Amino acid sequence: MTEPIGEEQLAGRPFDELIAELQRVVQALEAGNLPLEQSIELYRRGLALHGACEARLRDAELTISQLGRGLSEQPGAGDTEA
Amino acid sequence: MTAEQRGLWDVPAEDAPADGPMDPVAPAPVRAAPRILRVSDLNRRVRQLLDVDAQLADVWVEGEVSQPSFPPSGHCFFTLKDASSQIRAVLFREELAAANVRPEHGMQVIVHGRVRAYEPQGTYQLYVLTLTPAGAGDLHQRYEQLRAKLAAEGLFDDRRKRPLPRWPRRIGVVTSPVGVVWRDIANVMRRRYPLAELVLVPTHVQGAAAAGGIVRGLKRIYAQAGIDLVILARGGGSIEDLWSFNDERVVRTIAAAPMPVVVGVGHESDVTLADFVADVRAPTPSAAAEQAAPDVAQFPAILSRLRDRASTAMLASLTGRRRFLAEEDRALARLRPDVAAARQRAADLLDRGHRALGVQAAGARATLTALSDALRALSPAATLERGYAVARLADGTVVRSATQAAAGTALRVTVARGTLATRVEATEPPPDDEEELLP
Repeated sequence: MTEPIGEEQLAGRPFDELIAELQRVVQALEAGNLPLEQSIELYRRGLALHGACEARLRDAELTISQLGRGLSEQPGAGDTEA
Repeated sequence: MTAEQRGLWDVPAEDAPADGPMDPVAPAPVRAAPRILRVSDLNRRVRQLLDVDAQLADVWVEGEVSQPSFPPSGHCFFTLKDASSQIRAVLFREELAAANVRPEHGMQVIVHGRVRAYEPQGTYQLYVLTLTPAGAGDLHQRYEQLRAKLAAEGLFDDRRKRPLPRWPRRIGVVTSPVGVVWRDIANVMRRRYPLAELVLVPTHVQGAAAAGGIVRGLKRIYAQAGIDLVILARGGGSIEDLWSFNDERVVRTIAAAPMPVVVGVGHESDVTLADFVADVRAPTPSAAAEQAAPDVAQFPAILSRLRDRASTAMLASLTGRRRFLAEEDRALARLRPDVAAARQRAADLLDRGHRALGVQAAGARATLTALSDALRALSPAATLERGYAVARLADGTVVRSATQAAAGTALRVTVARGTLATRVEATEPPPDDEEELLP
């Protein structure tokens, strides 16, 4: 939780990690037994994480990749079944 | 059967002789007054006849399905026919749901059910309880045997089922790349959880090579790093179309998956052995995609809640500290030394000091005065002042006795103010016991 604040670092991390860290930050803030400076730092971190999550949701595009070549044989007749 | 009904039906009027010798015990022909039936009576009679027939109550019939219809009631109506004959058939909603196949036009089936009359329409029809594709008997038997065997091995046990990862990052999809199944899965994922990556492993899902292809595809995705779960999917079809999902190799490969597997094959009613062994069984491919990932639509609300909680906690922390500071401040105020009071006290002390000193000084002055008075009283001047005089001889000796100065002796007499030069005229000695008489 002492990582430097920066959207650059956050941008590279998986969404679930970001939201999990945000949850930890919130819980730490709610526990409320931190020195003021650390609380403020944590709160800033939380805002950065929140912003990164929102940006990720806004810009999310499904990635599709394929293992192996397409099928060379003709597709099964039932494959087009609705 | 009641007597009245027997009377209605047991006397065929045509068989009674029109003329000729009458049997004296035979009842008179009823030709003269034929009993007129209502249609509903007639139909009820037919229904009752059919209902008491034990064979019609439990029939197995093979035929071809023709023109099935699926009205909103949920039941299915169709005609079952062969080359030369046909009969109306009905598959009620419950039985339709339980059937492994959905009746299709031209489908060869074996049905089990009973024949009854439908009074309102005066028809008789086949009420189907079970419907299986003809020729599937063999397949079905193999299916059941394999299912029993794998179940005995524990492959279908619930405790083998793994939970799906909450937020999968990479999802393997083993299916045909052609057709709506893959497209549906990609669309569902694009809409619900575009944060993920789909890794498609294209494979045949139908035909003789399908089982081998599915096994290869699954193993291929298993070998990939970072795949959180696998979707194995196929659209609906006949029991033969879906048969590769009952293949023992496929079932065992799914069971051996290092990550959870979601199987979505066919329609709701299609249940394959792959469904049994899957960690999660979805009724359709789209449903499989929906179960595989959360819906991003929930996240904005989750995120705002988290932010609100952070802000609330921060605010509470600041407020707490502020209150603490205020309390400290009050405490400090209570403890602060009262300078004014101290100054007052100091002034008081000073005054008292001054006063005390003043009193002492006055005392000292009084003592001094007293002392100086006393001193003054002891000095000759003071004695002279009171009227005494000091007589000295010429040499300055103080005359204390009359015997010191004979008549004619010059005396200098000092009074309070000034000196007298005198002579003694006579001497009068004092009595013996009288000594110095001083005031």
